[in-house]
Amino acid sequence: MPSLVAAAFEAPYLDYAALAPEIVLTGVLLAVLVVDLFVDEDRKAVVAQLAGVGLLASLLPVVFLAVDGDDRSMFSGAYVVDDFALVFKALFLVSGYVVLLMSTDHIEEGDYWKGEYSFLLLSSLLGMVVMSSARDLLTIFVALELLSIPAYMLAGWRKRDLRSNEAALKYYLLGVLSSAVMLYGMSLVFGATGTTVLEDIARELGGDASEPLVALGIFFIVVGFAFKVSAVPFHFWAPDTYEGAPLPVTAFLSVASKAAGFVALLELIFMGFFGQDNVWQPLFWVLAVLTMTVGNLVALRQTNIVRLLAYSSVAQAGYMLVPFAVGGSSDEAAGTAQTAVIVYLLIYAAMNLGAFAIVMTVARRTRSGEISSYGGLFTYAPGLTVLMTIFVFSLAGIPPFGGWFAKFYIFKSAVDAGTGWALALAVVAGVNSVIALFYYAGVAREMWMQPVPGDDRTPIRVPPALGAALGITAVAVMAIGVYPQAFARLGDLAQLAVR
Amino acid sequence: MKALTTLIAMSGFLREYLTVLVFGAAAVAMVGAMLGAGSLLRPKRAQLQKYISYESGVDPVGTGWSQSQIRYYLFGLLFVMFEVETVFIFPWAVRLEDLGLFGLVEMVVFIAILALGLLYAWRKGVLRWM
Repeated sequence: MPSLVAAAFEAPYLDYAALAPEIVLTGVLLAVLVVDLFVDEDRKAVVAQLAGVGLLASLLPVVFLAVDGDDRSMFSGAYVVDDFALVFKALFLVSGYVVLLMSTDHIEEGDYWKGEYSFLLLSSLLGMVVMSSARDLLTIFVALELLSIPAYMLAGWRKRDLRSNEAALKYYLLGVLSSAVMLYGMSLVFGATGTTVLEDIARELGGDASEPLVALGIFFIVVGFAFKVSAVPFHFWAPDTYEGAPLPVTAFLSVASKAAGFVALLELIFMGFFGQDNVWQPLFWVLAVLTMTVGNLVALRQTNIVRLLAYSSVAQAGYMLVPFAVGGSSDEAAGTAQTAVIVYLLIYAAMNLGAFAIVMTVARRTRSGEISSYGGLFTYAPGLTVLMTIFVFSLAGIPPFGGWFAKFYIFKSAVDAGTGWALALAVVAGVNSVIALFYYAGVAREMWMQPVPGDDRTPIRVPPALGAALGITAVAVMAIGVYPQAFARLGDLAQLAVR
Repeated sequence: MKALTTLIAMSGFLREYLTVLVFGAAAVAMVGAMLGAGSLLRPKRAQLQKYISYESGVDPVGTGWSQSQIRYYLFGLLFVMFEVETVFIFPWAVRLEDLGLFGLVEMVVFIAILALGLLYAWRKGVLRWM
């Protein structure tokens, strides 16, 4: 028991090198806020440029820390900088940079509040960067709020558009609800174990049969995060929010925000609650089956490309939940499961951001999100068509591109686990991959084989920033597809130690 | 045989989730019981005064949808900023000597970041009452 008499204060050990990415990012976002206040309206582009350079600058310490390779731990294990943290910090910063590139022209042309946009994007990214290092219930919660609250505002950035307002409101209300459910679960776990640090929670819980209190706590925490990663049946907000929010924000939410939810789940499940697999395994099994199946079946019926990508991203979350449902049987299974999720997240970020960049580029001319507006795209924009085909086939998991490798790891984790339940789940995932192929191939068919609507063949101009975003994502998808071993190694390196 | 072991393993799963089910049922039952008992026990004497916003105190004037000055909202937000500052400064001030230089530096950083919010409000013209 802690004594009631206040102990002498001892300044906590701060490893400034380990905190460098966060410190640089904080400095940059404050600078962005101030610079925005003092530059003229016609020179606002400076703000976005500053934000972009700042993001790259905060990537530098991540690289140095990775080269250095030491695991650094602070605040009695609540904040850890290890390979897992560094891989995800890099993922968040790079996808943040790509989103910023995608936003440049969109925000410029849309009469938005440009400075605040960059500021909020950076704040949300800071939350994600903190999340990668959080190994403590409270830190995870604070990081989650820090990344969510700016995202609520960004979803409503098209202030005078009713659908954008709807997007922000739905996202906000369900986000707050899920935070409340999650926090309640955390309070139960804290009540049962008396600590918030994941490592200590794992020690307290061990592999014993779970107390009802712990089972409830874990259940509520997982349900809270199921909202965040838009797993069925907690996904209602996702399609409406994705459709209403400005396109770059949608890309940001469906990639970075979802990845942050999975990062937290990885930390909680494999560090904190690993011994309690009889509580979370069946829950993830049900969530994975529902999420894959419902996401794919509903995506089949979509006529709007953004809604299609929204449901496809729900289904993709389902694939990523598969390893959680099979990873609890042994340390080895946990390792494979973690690699599968990490590899999938990295590849998913590249291909989904790429697909959204194409949608934005095409929408600049057609002003439409309907899939039918992609008819005959190949005849007047062959480059974009080839890239989009690569991205959708990668999302579908067809071999030469990155996505197949990600799916392969998901199946590997299920087959390695070897239990009847795991194999059943692998079968469900296999059937779903086939269903998914229908709608992904439908987009490709529209672009390659259908006539051009209205016979309007004016070529599409690709602004340099969007072109850069397309280049980065396309190279990443191709590189992973051709040389997947490098990414598998990254996934193996980044595993959390299971206790 | 294999089916049997699966079934036993599954009953373990189900036992865990029985907790969740019991908890949910208890929550529903409790709310139902409280509201139900209230509606059974309380006397029902309908009076017009009971339907106004405040049963005691000042009679409301006008409708509930009357407009108020939007500026109050901005000032409300600014107020929250200072409020948060206070919430953290008070406990810090109580143990100022213990916390020493480290505490001082942390607090200065904290206040400086919050002050940027004030700077933002000032540049956006929130502080001018028009």
